[in-house]
Amino acid sequence: MKINNNGLDEMQKERRNSIGNQMFILMFYALLLDSGLYGAGIRWLKYPVNIMVIIMVCMCIYLIRTITSNAYLPPKVQSRKTIISLIIAIVFSVVLAIAAFNLFGNLSAQSAVEVANDNSVLILFIVSAVGLLISLIVAIIKKVNNKNDSDD
Amino acid sequence: MGKNLRIKTARAAKDMTQKDLADAVGVARQTMNAIEKGDYNPSINLCIAICKVLGKTLNQLFWEDDEYENQ
Repeated sequence: MKINNNGLDEMQKERRNSIGNQMFILMFYALLLDSGLYGAGIRWLKYPVNIMVIIMVCMCIYLIRTITSNAYLPPKVQSRKTIISLIIAIVFSVVLAIAAFNLFGNLSAQSAVEVANDNSVLILFIVSAVGLLISLIVAIIKKVNNKNDSDD
Repeated sequence: MGKNLRIKTARAAKDMTQKDLADAVGVARQTMNAIEKGDYNPSINLCIAICKVLGKTLNQLFWEDDEYENQ
């Protein structure tokens, strides 16, 4: 008797929901604190970037905690080889980025950099890259540990 | 909540690994591991699925009573 469809199982759903709620509250209070600091005259980053950084950090924490509690992939996907699909996704992302840059041209990118006139783009890039790197490391460590924690 | 050794015993009697049992009921191996270790309380549907695969009753696997401890 199989109780599952193709999605996450009940324990995974429970953990993901719990983590999601916590991260939502964390993001809410971080944004509230940020707006308070902004009103008090403390500006640690320019306006759109501070919000983006807070959202990205919360998203990265959510991703990392979901991976560590084994609630990121459903059971059926875990048993499949995901290397090929990962490579396809990376190649597709790179092609999409190049195509978007070529389609929309250099004008929009150039004007965006000139308007921002600070390190906003670099900061956003670093935050997202560090988050993804940590997620990747956590996923690898988790995969290695999963082979040893079986209680058979 | 302590370890559920009765599931482990029933599983071993059927010569199944945690992965085999997890695949049979449609959950992740880590979920079965958490149930056996007592870290997670399964739903009644999952309990019934486990019982059907292992050929036991709910009482035999999940009821905490001396009467069913030795079965």
